[in-house]
Amino acid sequence: MLGDAQKAREVFEATLRAATERAGESEAPVDRFWLYREARGRCLEASEQSLQAEDVDLPEEELSPTALDQLAQIDADQLAIWISAAPEPQRTALALFYLDEFTHRELLKIAELKTAELGPLLSSARRQLQAWLNTILPVEDAS
Amino acid sequence: MKPVRLSQRERLLVHCAPARAERIDDRAMRAAVFRAAKSDEFVRQQQFDRAVAALVHAVPIPPETAHWFSSEALIARPKWTWKRAAKNPAVVAVGIACLVIAGVFIIQFIEHLHDFPGSSRARRLLSVANSSRSVLLDPVRTDAGALGDLFFMKHNLEHYEVPPPFAEFQTLGCRVFDDEEAGRAAQIWVTEKRMQFFLFPAERDPKTGTAPDFADWRFVEQEGWSGAVQQQHGVLFMAAIRGDRQLLAPYLNTPKE
Repeated sequence: MLGDAQKAREVFEATLRAATERAGESEAPVDRFWLYREARGRCLEASEQSLQAEDVDLPEEELSPTALDQLAQIDADQLAIWISAAPEPQRTALALFYLDEFTHRELLKIAELKTAELGPLLSSARRQLQAWLNTILPVEDAS
Repeated sequence: MKPVRLSQRERLLVHCAPARAERIDDRAMRAAVFRAAKSDEFVRQQQFDRAVAALVHAVPIPPETAHWFSSEALIARPKWTWKRAAKNPAVVAVGIACLVIAGVFIIQFIEHLHDFPGSSRARRLLSVANSSRSVLLDPVRTDAGALGDLFFMKHNLEHYEVPPPFAEFQTLGCRVFDDEEAGRAAQIWVTEKRMQFFLFPAERDPKTGTAPDFADWRFVEQEGWSGAVQQQHGVLFMAAIRGDRQLLAPYLNTPKE
Protein backbone atom coordinates (compact mmCIF):
# COMPACT_ATOMS: atom_id res chain seq x y z
CA MET A 1 0.00 0.00 0.00
CA LEU A 2 2.89 2.37 0.66
CA GLY A 3 5.30 1.46 -2.14
CA ASP A 4 8.14 2.12 0.29
CA ALA A 5 9.79 -0.76 2.18
CA GLN A 6 11.05 1.46 5.02
CA LYS A 7 7.64 3.03 5.66
CA ALA A 8 5.97 -0.36 5.38
CA ARG A 9 8.34 -1.72 8.01
CA GLU A 10 7.61 1.20 10.36
CA VAL A 11 3.86 0.69 9.95
CA PHE A 12 4.24 -3.04 10.46
CA GLU A 13 6.24 -2.59 13.67
CA ALA A 14 3.89 0.09 14.99
CA THR A 15 0.91 -2.19 14.33
CA LEU A 16 2.57 -5.07 16.11
CA ARG A 17 3.46 -2.82 19.01
CA ALA A 18 -0.19 -1.75 19.32
CA ALA A 19 -1.28 -5.38 19.19
CA THR A 20 1.25 -6.31 21.90
CA GLU A 21 0.08 -3.48 24.12
CA ARG A 22 -3.54 -4.56 23.76
CA ALA A 23 -2.61 -8.16 24.50
CA GLY A 24 -0.65 -7.02 27.56
CA GLU A 25 -3.68 -5.14 28.82
CA SER A 26 -5.73 -8.32 28.33
CA GLU A 27 -7.86 -6.37 25.90
CA ALA A 28 -8.60 -8.92 23.21
CA PRO A 29 -10.03 -7.20 20.13
CA VAL A 30 -13.63 -8.07 19.44
CA ASP A 31 -13.05 -7.55 15.71
CA ARG A 32 -10.96 -10.44 14.39
CA PHE A 33 -9.77 -8.24 11.53
CA TRP A 34 -8.51 -5.64 13.96
CA LEU A 35 -4.87 -6.17 12.95
CA TYR A 36 -5.61 -5.59 9.26
CA ARG A 37 -7.77 -2.54 9.93
CA GLU A 38 -5.11 -1.13 12.22
CA ALA A 39 -2.39 -1.72 9.62
CA ARG A 40 -4.54 -0.16 6.91
CA GLY A 41 -5.29 2.89 9.05
CA ARG A 42 -1.60 3.38 9.79
CA CYS A 43 -0.76 3.00 6.08
CA LEU A 44 -3.29 5.69 5.22
CA GLU A 45 -1.83 7.96 7.90
CA ALA A 46 1.70 7.36 6.66
CA SER A 47 0.80 7.97 3.04
CA GLU A 48 -0.89 11.28 3.88
CA GLN A 49 2.52 12.63 4.82
CA SER A 50 4.15 11.64 1.57
CA LEU A 51 3.62 12.56 -2.07
CA GLN A 52 0.00 12.27 -3.14
CA ALA A 53 -1.09 10.69 -6.40
CA GLU A 54 -2.50 13.15 -8.86
CA ASP A 55 -6.23 12.98 -9.30
CA VAL A 56 -6.25 12.11 -13.00
CA ASP A 57 -8.31 9.70 -15.02
CA LEU A 58 -5.92 6.96 -15.99
CA PRO A 59 -6.40 5.35 -19.36
CA GLU A 60 -8.14 2.00 -19.37
CA GLU A 61 -7.83 -0.86 -21.81
CA GLU A 62 -9.46 -4.26 -22.15
CA LEU A 63 -7.54 -7.17 -20.67
CA SER A 64 -5.25 -8.46 -23.33
CA PRO A 65 -4.51 -12.10 -24.15
CA THR A 66 -0.85 -11.12 -23.78
CA ALA A 67 -1.36 -9.73 -20.25
CA LEU A 68 0.18 -12.79 -18.61
CA ASP A 69 3.35 -12.40 -20.67
CA GLN A 70 3.46 -8.71 -19.84
CA LEU A 71 3.05 -9.41 -16.12
CA ALA A 72 5.81 -12.00 -16.29
CA GLN A 73 8.16 -9.31 -17.51
CA ILE A 74 7.61 -6.73 -14.81
CA ASP A 75 9.19 -6.62 -11.41
CA ALA A 76 7.18 -7.18 -8.17
CA ASP A 77 8.41 -3.83 -6.88
CA GLN A 78 7.11 -2.08 -9.98
CA LEU A 79 3.68 -3.54 -9.36
CA ALA A 80 3.85 -2.58 -5.66
CA ILE A 81 4.64 1.02 -6.62
CA TRP A 82 1.84 1.05 -9.17
CA ILE A 83 -0.66 -0.18 -6.58
CA SER A 84 0.57 2.32 -3.97
CA ALA A 85 -0.02 5.13 -6.44
CA ALA A 86 -3.70 4.25 -6.82
CA PRO A 87 -6.17 6.59 -5.09
CA GLU A 88 -8.04 5.46 -2.02
CA PRO A 89 -10.07 3.31 -1.64
CA GLN A 90 -8.90 1.62 -4.84
CA ARG A 91 -5.44 1.16 -3.37
CA THR A 92 -6.80 -0.66 -0.30
CA ALA A 93 -9.07 -2.77 -2.48
CA LEU A 94 -6.18 -3.78 -4.75
CA ALA A 95 -3.76 -4.46 -1.90
CA LEU A 96 -6.23 -6.67 -0.03
CA PHE A 97 -7.67 -8.34 -3.13
CA TYR A 98 -4.31 -9.35 -4.57
CA LEU A 99 -3.00 -10.54 -1.22
CA ASP A 100 -5.40 -13.39 -1.99
CA GLU A 101 -5.82 -14.15 1.71
CA PHE A 102 -9.40 -13.09 2.28
CA THR A 103 -12.83 -14.21 1.27
CA HIS A 104 -15.11 -11.74 -0.44
CA ARG A 105 -16.98 -10.87 2.76
CA GLU A 106 -13.81 -10.52 4.77
CA LEU A 107 -12.39 -8.19 2.18
CA LEU A 108 -15.52 -6.02 2.29
CA LYS A 109 -15.28 -5.82 6.07
CA ILE A 110 -11.62 -4.88 6.19
CA ALA A 111 -11.82 -2.39 3.33
CA GLU A 112 -15.14 -1.05 4.66
CA LEU A 113 -16.64 -1.24 1.19
CA LYS A 114 -19.76 -2.67 -0.41
CA THR A 115 -19.86 -5.04 -3.35
CA ALA A 116 -21.30 -2.23 -5.46
CA GLU A 117 -18.22 -0.14 -4.67
CA LEU A 118 -15.61 -2.88 -4.79
CA GLY A 119 -16.69 -4.29 -8.18
CA PRO A 120 -16.14 -1.10 -10.21
CA LEU A 121 -12.90 -0.35 -8.30
CA LEU A 122 -11.39 -3.72 -9.21
CA SER A 123 -12.74 -3.76 -12.73
CA SER A 124 -11.37 -0.31 -13.40
CA ALA A 125 -8.03 -1.17 -11.76
CA ARG A 126 -7.58 -4.22 -14.00
CA ARG A 127 -8.15 -2.14 -17.11
CA GLN A 128 -5.84 0.63 -15.85
CA LEU A 129 -3.16 -1.93 -15.04
CA GLN A 130 -3.52 -3.37 -18.53
CA ALA A 131 -3.17 0.11 -20.00
CA TRP A 132 -0.05 0.69 -17.91
CA LEU A 133 1.37 -2.68 -19.00
CA ASN A 134 0.67 -1.78 -22.61
CA THR A 135 2.51 1.48 -22.07
CA ILE A 136 5.64 0.08 -20.46
CA LEU A 137 5.60 -3.15 -22.49
CA PRO A 138 4.01 -2.44 -25.83
CA VAL A 139 2.39 -5.52 -27.29
CA GLU A 140 4.82 -5.88 -30.14
CA ASP A 141 7.71 -5.82 -27.60
CA ALA A 142 5.97 -8.20 -25.21
CA SER A 143 5.31 -10.75 -27.87
CA MET B 1 -16.79 -20.14 -25.60
CA LYS B 2 -20.01 -18.21 -25.92
CA PRO B 3 -20.50 -14.75 -24.46
CA VAL B 4 -22.59 -15.00 -21.31
CA ARG B 5 -25.26 -12.45 -20.47
CA LEU B 6 -25.03 -11.46 -16.83
CA SER B 7 -27.23 -9.14 -14.84
CA GLN B 8 -25.72 -5.97 -13.43
CA ARG B 9 -25.59 -7.51 -9.98
CA GLU B 10 -23.90 -10.64 -11.32
CA ARG B 11 -21.39 -8.54 -13.23
CA LEU B 12 -20.52 -6.68 -10.02
CA LEU B 13 -20.02 -9.95 -8.18
CA VAL B 14 -17.92 -11.39 -11.00
CA HIS B 15 -15.66 -8.33 -10.92
CA CYS B 16 -15.07 -8.99 -7.20
CA ALA B 17 -14.59 -12.74 -7.59
CA PRO B 18 -11.41 -13.94 -5.87
CA ALA B 19 -8.95 -15.76 -8.08
CA ARG B 20 -9.33 -18.90 -5.99
CA ALA B 21 -12.75 -20.55 -5.82
CA GLU B 22 -12.29 -21.53 -2.16
CA ARG B 23 -12.23 -17.83 -1.22
CA ILE B 24 -15.79 -17.39 -2.45
CA ASP B 25 -18.03 -17.36 0.63
CA ASP B 26 -21.09 -15.81 -0.94
CA ARG B 27 -23.77 -17.93 -2.56
CA ALA B 28 -24.79 -15.23 -5.03
CA MET B 29 -21.18 -14.76 -6.05
CA ARG B 30 -20.71 -18.50 -6.46
CA ALA B 31 -23.74 -18.62 -8.74
CA ALA B 32 -22.53 -15.63 -10.74
CA VAL B 33 -19.07 -17.12 -11.11
CA PHE B 34 -20.57 -20.43 -12.17
CA ARG B 35 -22.45 -18.66 -14.95
CA ALA B 36 -19.54 -16.45 -15.96
CA ALA B 37 -17.07 -19.34 -15.98
CA LYS B 38 -18.14 -20.12 -19.54
CA SER B 39 -17.05 -16.72 -20.86
CA ASP B 40 -13.60 -15.83 -22.26
CA GLU B 41 -13.71 -12.51 -20.48
CA PHE B 42 -14.03 -14.09 -17.05
CA VAL B 43 -11.40 -16.75 -17.76
CA ARG B 44 -9.00 -13.97 -18.81
CA GLN B 45 -9.86 -11.98 -15.66
CA GLN B 46 -9.13 -14.96 -13.44
CA GLN B 47 -5.82 -15.67 -15.14
CA PHE B 48 -4.90 -12.01 -14.88
CA ASP B 49 -5.80 -11.90 -11.18
CA ARG B 50 -3.82 -15.05 -10.44
CA ALA B 51 -0.77 -13.65 -12.20
CA VAL B 52 -1.03 -10.31 -10.34
CA ALA B 53 -1.54 -12.13 -7.01
CA ALA B 54 1.56 -14.24 -7.70
CA LEU B 55 3.49 -11.08 -8.41
CA VAL B 56 2.22 -9.43 -5.21
CA HIS B 57 3.35 -12.47 -3.25
CA ALA B 58 6.75 -12.06 -4.85
CA VAL B 59 7.13 -8.57 -3.38
CA PRO B 60 10.28 -9.00 -1.27
CA ILE B 61 9.85 -8.74 2.50
CA PRO B 62 12.84 -7.17 4.25
CA PRO B 63 14.68 -9.75 6.39
CA GLU B 64 14.24 -7.68 9.57
CA THR B 65 10.45 -7.82 9.02
CA ALA B 66 10.44 -11.42 7.85
CA HIS B 67 11.97 -12.65 11.10
CA TRP B 68 8.86 -11.53 12.94
CA PHE B 69 6.87 -14.13 11.05
CA SER B 70 9.28 -16.94 11.87
CA SER B 71 8.60 -16.62 15.58
CA GLU B 72 5.52 -18.54 16.67
CA ALA B 73 5.37 -16.67 19.98
CA LEU B 74 5.12 -13.27 18.34
CA ILE B 75 2.71 -12.12 20.99
CA ALA B 76 2.82 -14.05 24.23
CA ARG B 77 -0.53 -15.40 25.31
CA PRO B 78 -1.83 -13.54 28.34
CA LYS B 79 -1.14 -15.40 31.56
CA TRP B 80 -3.97 -17.44 32.98
CA THR B 81 -4.97 -16.11 36.37
CA TRP B 82 -7.78 -16.86 38.78
CA LYS B 83 -8.77 -13.20 38.66
CA ARG B 84 -9.18 -13.29 34.88
CA ALA B 85 -11.00 -16.61 34.99
CA ALA B 86 -13.37 -15.32 37.67
CA LYS B 87 -14.38 -12.44 35.40
CA ASN B 88 -15.31 -14.76 32.57
CA PRO B 89 -19.14 -14.74 32.28
CA ALA B 90 -19.19 -18.45 31.49
CA VAL B 91 -17.20 -19.24 34.62
CA VAL B 92 -19.44 -16.95 36.68
CA ALA B 93 -22.55 -18.68 35.30
CA VAL B 94 -21.16 -22.15 35.99
CA GLY B 95 -20.09 -21.04 39.47
CA ILE B 96 -23.56 -19.71 40.32
CA ALA B 97 -25.16 -22.89 38.96
CA CYS B 98 -22.80 -25.05 41.08
CA LEU B 99 -23.59 -22.96 44.18
CA VAL B 100 -27.33 -23.34 43.62
CA ILE B 101 -27.00 -27.11 43.07
CA ALA B 102 -24.77 -27.41 46.14
CA GLY B 103 -27.30 -25.36 48.15
CA VAL B 104 -30.15 -27.62 47.11
CA PHE B 105 -28.11 -30.70 48.03
CA ILE B 106 -27.19 -29.23 51.42
CA ILE B 107 -30.82 -28.35 52.17
CA GLN B 108 -31.90 -31.84 51.12
CA PHE B 109 -29.15 -33.37 53.25
CA ILE B 110 -30.05 -31.30 56.30
CA GLU B 111 -33.74 -32.07 55.84
CA HIS B 112 -33.07 -35.79 55.76
CA LEU B 113 -30.25 -35.80 58.31
CA HIS B 114 -32.58 -36.96 61.08
CA ASP B 115 -34.67 -39.24 58.91
CA PHE B 116 -35.64 -42.63 60.29
CA PRO B 117 -37.73 -45.52 58.98
CA GLY B 118 -41.28 -44.20 58.79
CA SER B 119 -40.36 -40.50 58.76
CA SER B 120 -41.92 -39.99 55.31
CA ARG B 121 -45.19 -41.53 56.58
CA ALA B 122 -45.01 -39.33 59.67
CA ARG B 123 -44.60 -36.22 57.49
CA ARG B 124 -47.53 -37.31 55.40
CA LEU B 125 -49.68 -37.59 58.54
CA LEU B 126 -48.56 -34.13 59.70
CA SER B 127 -50.12 -32.86 56.46
CA VAL B 128 -53.28 -34.77 57.41
CA ALA B 129 -53.16 -33.14 60.86
CA ASN B 130 -52.85 -29.72 59.23
CA SER B 131 -55.94 -30.26 57.09
CA SER B 132 -58.10 -32.11 59.65
CA ARG B 133 -61.12 -30.61 61.35
CA SER B 134 -62.48 -31.97 64.62
CA VAL B 135 -65.90 -32.59 63.05
CA LEU B 136 -64.36 -35.33 60.91
CA LEU B 137 -63.59 -37.40 64.01
CA ASP B 138 -66.01 -39.53 66.00
CA PRO B 139 -66.51 -37.74 69.33
CA VAL B 140 -64.95 -39.79 72.14
CA ARG B 141 -64.30 -38.33 75.56
CA THR B 142 -61.94 -40.54 77.52
CA ASP B 143 -58.26 -40.97 78.35
CA ALA B 144 -56.09 -41.36 75.28
CA GLY B 145 -54.58 -44.51 76.80
CA ALA B 146 -57.98 -46.18 76.84
CA LEU B 147 -58.41 -45.99 73.08
CA GLY B 148 -55.98 -48.89 72.48
CA ASP B 149 -58.71 -51.31 73.47
CA LEU B 150 -61.21 -49.56 71.22
CA PHE B 151 -58.87 -49.83 68.22
CA PHE B 152 -58.26 -53.49 68.95
CA MET B 153 -61.87 -54.44 69.62
CA LYS B 154 -63.49 -52.36 66.90
CA HIS B 155 -60.85 -52.23 64.19
CA ASN B 156 -58.66 -55.22 65.04
CA LEU B 157 -55.61 -52.95 65.29
CA GLU B 158 -53.12 -54.62 67.58
CA HIS B 159 -50.61 -52.56 69.60
CA TYR B 160 -52.23 -49.24 68.61
CA GLU B 161 -51.48 -47.99 72.11
CA VAL B 162 -50.82 -44.38 73.17
CA PRO B 163 -47.53 -44.38 75.16
CA PRO B 164 -47.53 -43.35 78.84
CA PRO B 165 -46.45 -39.70 78.51
CA PHE B 166 -49.64 -38.99 76.53
CA ALA B 167 -51.92 -41.74 77.84
CA GLU B 168 -53.75 -39.54 80.36
CA PHE B 169 -54.70 -36.73 78.01
CA GLN B 170 -58.44 -36.22 77.51
CA THR B 171 -59.60 -36.96 73.99
CA LEU B 172 -62.07 -34.99 71.87
CA GLY B 173 -62.47 -37.60 69.15
CA CYS B 174 -60.80 -40.25 67.10
CA ARG B 175 -61.05 -42.04 63.79
CA VAL B 176 -59.40 -44.86 61.87
CA PHE B 177 -58.71 -44.31 58.19
CA ASP B 178 -56.72 -45.76 55.36
CA ASP B 179 -54.01 -43.56 54.01
CA GLU B 180 -52.33 -44.29 50.66
CA GLU B 181 -48.88 -43.75 52.08
CA ALA B 182 -49.16 -44.37 55.81
CA GLY B 183 -51.51 -47.37 55.62
CA ARG B 184 -54.22 -47.96 58.22
CA ALA B 185 -53.84 -45.10 60.66
CA ALA B 186 -55.61 -44.06 63.85
CA GLN B 187 -56.02 -40.34 64.56
CA ILE B 188 -56.80 -39.00 68.03
CA TRP B 189 -57.61 -35.41 68.89
CA VAL B 190 -56.89 -34.35 72.49
CA THR B 191 -57.78 -31.27 74.46
CA GLU B 192 -54.19 -30.58 75.55
CA LYS B 193 -52.95 -27.77 73.28
CA ARG B 194 -55.17 -29.25 70.54
CA MET B 195 -52.55 -31.90 69.91
CA GLN B 196 -53.25 -34.79 67.60
CA PHE B 197 -51.93 -38.33 67.99
CA PHE B 198 -51.39 -40.76 65.15
CA LEU B 199 -50.81 -44.47 65.31
CA PHE B 200 -49.77 -46.18 62.10
CA PRO B 201 -47.87 -49.25 60.96
CA ALA B 202 -44.06 -49.10 60.93
CA GLU B 203 -42.14 -49.16 57.69
CA ARG B 204 -40.63 -52.58 57.23
CA ASP B 205 -37.25 -53.19 55.70
CA PRO B 206 -37.99 -54.60 52.20
CA LYS B 207 -35.03 -57.01 52.48
CA THR B 208 -35.46 -58.38 56.00
CA GLY B 209 -39.17 -57.68 56.47
CA THR B 210 -38.47 -56.36 59.96
CA ALA B 211 -39.18 -52.98 61.52
CA PRO B 212 -36.84 -52.42 64.48
CA ASP B 213 -38.55 -50.52 67.29
CA PHE B 214 -37.05 -47.43 68.89
CA ALA B 215 -37.95 -46.15 72.33
CA ASP B 216 -36.39 -42.72 71.95
CA TRP B 217 -38.32 -39.80 70.47
CA ARG B 218 -37.56 -38.76 66.95
CA PHE B 219 -38.81 -35.60 65.31
CA VAL B 220 -40.33 -34.60 62.02
CA GLU B 221 -41.59 -31.24 60.77
CA GLN B 222 -43.97 -30.38 57.98
CA GLU B 223 -46.14 -27.39 57.07
CA GLY B 224 -45.59 -25.66 60.42
CA TRP B 225 -46.37 -28.78 62.41
CA SER B 226 -43.96 -30.79 64.54
CA GLY B 227 -44.22 -34.43 65.44
CA ALA B 228 -42.50 -36.59 68.08
CA VAL B 229 -42.37 -40.20 66.95
CA GLN B 230 -41.74 -43.44 68.81
CA GLN B 231 -42.06 -47.04 67.63
CA GLN B 232 -43.22 -49.96 69.77
CA HIS B 233 -44.30 -53.43 68.59
CA GLY B 234 -44.13 -52.46 64.97
CA VAL B 235 -46.50 -49.51 65.40
CA LEU B 236 -45.44 -45.89 65.20
CA PHE B 237 -46.95 -43.33 67.57
CA MET B 238 -46.72 -39.66 66.70
CA ALA B 239 -47.73 -36.74 68.86
CA ALA B 240 -48.32 -33.82 66.52
CA ILE B 241 -48.55 -30.16 67.50
CA ARG B 242 -48.77 -26.97 65.51
CA GLY B 243 -45.55 -25.05 66.00
CA ASP B 244 -42.01 -25.72 67.02
CA ARG B 245 -40.84 -29.10 68.28
CA GLN B 246 -39.85 -27.44 71.57
CA LEU B 247 -43.56 -27.32 72.42
CA LEU B 248 -43.51 -31.12 72.70
CA ALA B 249 -40.42 -31.27 74.90
CA PRO B 250 -42.22 -30.94 78.24
CA TYR B 251 -44.32 -34.03 77.47
CA LEU B 252 -41.48 -36.32 76.51
CA ASN B 253 -39.59 -38.39 79.02
CA THR B 254 -36.35 -38.45 77.09
CA PRO B 255 -36.34 -35.68 74.51
CA LYS B 256 -33.68 -36.33 71.90
CA GLU B 257 -32.63 -34.33 68.84
